[in-house]
Amino acid sequence: MTTTSQRTEAGAAQDRRNLRADRSAGRQRTATIAAYTVLVVLALIYIYPFLITVATSFKSDAEAVSSPLGLVPQTWTTAAYERLLLRSDFPLWFQNSAIVTLCVTTGRVFINSLAGYALARLQFRGRALVFAGVVAVMAVPGVVLLIPKFLVINQLGIYDSYAGMIIPLLADAAGIFIMKNFFESVPRSVEEAARIDGAGPFRTYWSVVLPMARPALITLVILSFQGSWNELSHFIVASQDPALRTLTKGVAQLASGALSQGSQYPIKLAAAAIMTIPVAVLFFVFQRRIMNVTSGAVKE
Amino acid sequence: MSAPTGATSVTTAPRTTPRGPGIRGREAAAGWLFIAPMLIILGLFLVVPVLMAAWVSVSDWTGRGSPLSSTVGFVGADNFRQLVAGGLPTQDFGTALRNNAWYVLLVVPLQTALSMFLAVMVNRRILRGRGAFRTAFYFPSVTSSVAITVLFLFLFSASGAVNKLVGYLSAEGPNWFADARGVVHIALGAVGLDQAPAALAEHGFLGLSWWAWLAGPSVAMSVFIVMAIFTTSGTFMLLFIAALQAIAGDVEEAAVMDGANGWQRFWFVTLPMLRPTLFTVVTLGLIGCWQVFDQIYTGTQGGPAKTTLTPAYLSYTASFESHQWGRGAAIAFVLFAIIVTMTILQRIVLRERTSVPRRKRFVREDRP
Amino acid sequence: MHRTDRRFRTALPLALLTTGALTLTACGGGSGFDEDADTGGGGDETPAETSELTLLIGSSGDSETDAVTAAVDAWALESGIDATVTVASDLNQELSQGFAAGSPPDVFYQSTDQLAGYASNGSLWAYGSELASADDFYPSLVENFTYDGELFCAPKDFSTLALVINTDAWAAAGLTDADVPTDWDGLAAAAAALTTDTQVGLSFGPEYQRLGVFMAQAGGGLISQDGTTAIADSPENLEALTYVQQMLVDGVLAFPSAIDSGWGGEAFGSGRAAMTIEGNWIMGALRNDYPDVPFLVAELPAGPAGQGTLQFTNCWGIAADSPNQQAALELVEFLTSTEQQAGFAEAFGVMPSVLSAGDDFRTAFPDQVAFLDSAEFAIGMPTVQGASDVIGDLNGQIEGLATADLAGLLTSVQTNMQAVLDSAG
Repeated sequence: MTTTSQRTEAGAAQDRRNLRADRSAGRQRTATIAAYTVLVVLALIYIYPFLITVATSFKSDAEAVSSPLGLVPQTWTTAAYERLLLRSDFPLWFQNSAIVTLCVTTGRVFINSLAGYALARLQFRGRALVFAGVVAVMAVPGVVLLIPKFLVINQLGIYDSYAGMIIPLLADAAGIFIMKNFFESVPRSVEEAARIDGAGPFRTYWSVVLPMARPALITLVILSFQGSWNELSHFIVASQDPALRTLTKGVAQLASGALSQGSQYPIKLAAAAIMTIPVAVLFFVFQRRIMNVTSGAVKE
Repeated sequence: MSAPTGATSVTTAPRTTPRGPGIRGREAAAGWLFIAPMLIILGLFLVVPVLMAAWVSVSDWTGRGSPLSSTVGFVGADNFRQLVAGGLPTQDFGTALRNNAWYVLLVVPLQTALSMFLAVMVNRRILRGRGAFRTAFYFPSVTSSVAITVLFLFLFSASGAVNKLVGYLSAEGPNWFADARGVVHIALGAVGLDQAPAALAEHGFLGLSWWAWLAGPSVAMSVFIVMAIFTTSGTFMLLFIAALQAIAGDVEEAAVMDGANGWQRFWFVTLPMLRPTLFTVVTLGLIGCWQVFDQIYTGTQGGPAKTTLTPAYLSYTASFESHQWGRGAAIAFVLFAIIVTMTILQRIVLRERTSVPRRKRFVREDRP
Repeated sequence: MHRTDRRFRTALPLALLTTGALTLTACGGGSGFDEDADTGGGGDETPAETSELTLLIGSSGDSETDAVTAAVDAWALESGIDATVTVASDLNQELSQGFAAGSPPDVFYQSTDQLAGYASNGSLWAYGSELASADDFYPSLVENFTYDGELFCAPKDFSTLALVINTDAWAAAGLTDADVPTDWDGLAAAAAALTTDTQVGLSFGPEYQRLGVFMAQAGGGLISQDGTTAIADSPENLEALTYVQQMLVDGVLAFPSAIDSGWGGEAFGSGRAAMTIEGNWIMGALRNDYPDVPFLVAELPAGPAGQGTLQFTNCWGIAADSPNQQAALELVEFLTSTEQQAGFAEAFGVMPSVLSAGDDFRTAFPDQVAFLDSAEFAIGMPTVQGASDVIGDLNGQIEGLATADLAGLLTSVQTNMQAVLDSAG
């Protein structure tokens, strides 16, 4: 064979390969563009409602009804916020929610990590049984317990008090699960070292293992904060005193027309917006950590 | 140390570990102490309530004083019988079950599919800004159901944003939250099936005719379905992303080398490996959907025409508003039984099969 | 080796300390922003206190809350016994929860449909026999609150339903005083004349509590006079529902939710409806929220069987478990006195439940005379236990009235109501 024909054959083969590569690269590009478009549209659908919420809270009642889709109010007005913050119990609700959430989060961190550590690392008879019980408890749907929890809270005499609102929320099986899983991944050598140094179980837990548990603890804090800030049904049955009303209960009543008539949307949306701010802030600050949780990311 | 056989005492090395409970004992004590708070709280507020509810559901407690007092009588399965014997309580219960069943039927598959789709889309290596997209999709999940319900009440009001959008498409949107027509009935009406066929209208179950059972979710309930998918798809998307990232990259490459296209790769390789996560997502979805309460309490309180009534909400109203505490507790237990049964059922359906069926193996192509 | 993260080690105890401090301040009682939000510590106190009364009311708006609170404060000052008013967001639920928890309020609004339930399980104190002015109450109201032959509580006020007309829209449609409807045809015609692109002629809530006026006017109803049989599936009721359905189909009647309103009063006040069927409470709403709408109150038109309307009333219930019953009784007698009732009528537009205040009401509120006159042909809501559930079910069906199968609807109500009457014995 002459070199020219070899070269042309080789060249033709190379051309064919290039063409195929170009075509598939082209296909790849259109696929990517298509993917981006779909994702952007979906993301807009997910975000737009929240933008509408903020925008509408600054509109007048009439404008909220007449131009519900607009993101920029024709006339900016803070009437809804004034009504909400100055002439209603909203600040009280916020305060109550804050108190309850702070107490529940701190309590859960403490109780769940203790229990998780005990179940993971301490040997005692019946440990497996207790853990099986915790797992079984996770399966009981919360709503089934609504009425009976009311009855128990009432019998214990903590009805209509902060204690009744906080204490039942303090232990949750999912949190214990997370902590137990985490503690099991802590190398035993660390504890052995502590034990050799003469530390008892509590000291080992407190000074040695707990500081190492920061990632899991932060996850627990985030989930507990979210769960107790957004909790509604428990507060319905745990108290009825308006002085103990939390944000969720208060806003739920707003929605059914307590402070406003049927179509006074700006005030309702302003309440929803303010209510979402703390969890949103927490979310954006700890985004990465939240997104990396594989287990326990359960919406309560 | 070997025990001496003779009577003569032999000096043994001094014991290095102390007598008494020892490390093990202290650990056991500490262990119980550590789990004590959890046990007390879980016991008091999870176990005891269940027992108390069990008692109330078989008693005639009227709501005054303690249910454990001596004046409260045992009525056996009376409260449960009321739920199936006919009359208004049965009809309400049947309606609630039907509404919730359609809700579950639509929400669980849709939210699973959507979250899986989002996960696959967002997980592509070549995509930029994945973090931003993940944030956007997950954000609704962190908000409170109350806030989201208020938002949707606004968006789907008669002259709200959604109807405005529908108006741009020159159609007229319904008054979403006040429309009690079943979606299936609407669809059937569009193809001419307006009235109930005699067979379906005559017979029924739990106080509702079969035609009513087949009504589908009402338009109002459909809004709640969309709301559920909107708020939970983000959470499940994260679960799927985690699972996808755990699938080793070279499995995908091997599939590519074997000539599988994108769809085949997903269906025959990725999906089977996602089975455990799929099971988790479906289970969580089922458990969550059967308990829907907050949104109904905030939004429609069971209306319009009781088409957003759910067993959880019915249990609440039966107790707190109709003062039928026994019936309320009975409904709660039936709900519990439903959830457990469905969880077990879907575990059976989705369980791992040890051998891959013949038709699902793919055929190698012989490369030229 | 172990890492001691010093910041973390101090953070946790600090957090605990803060929480503890917060909890302590919290347990000291929440800081109420409204003076009527504090009911004195909830369930922590033992019920042996006799120096404080708690009231639970279901308010129709700010005007009612303010009026009741002012009256209670005035009494507290005079009598030396502390009393606080709490506004319930869901009166039925909170009352029921309070009774179940063993810590009910001392005095509360008691509605006619809940009376049988609470009376039968012993939650209420039947103080009717101890009332000084028992014979001053309207007899029909007394009957509403009598259970098992005993008067359980003092009626606090009552309202009837009447037709409220927007006089501007009336004139704009070319209608005059002579056109104020006196029969069904007249009502339908007026509604048709008033219906424009932006306004519907008539609007009222989709519930028996409004629709029932037509059933009364046709000679029907839910329960027979003697209270033993359900009469829901009578031809008279069918006639009434057919009439309403026709108006819905013709587009001259719309339910408030279809016109972006929460209730008939809002539809009327915002101008989306020219007429509405509402009770006295609309006066307060019109005065506060829609002061620029000129209106006229007329008696409802007569149906085939004459005039008819519905009457609503509540009473002051006193809990049987209340440790302050004597004080509560005195408070109730104060609140139902002629002067106080006149004050309430002025503040939020209800009618006094005592006959002695009738004439004053006519002179003081000439524009509400129609409400008072309607009392002559008003029927009350059913009081038998379980009836409210049946009515709730009926209300759900009324929402779809435009396309409903009326005979089937009435049959279902008949069945349910008869079942309730049978079980009540």
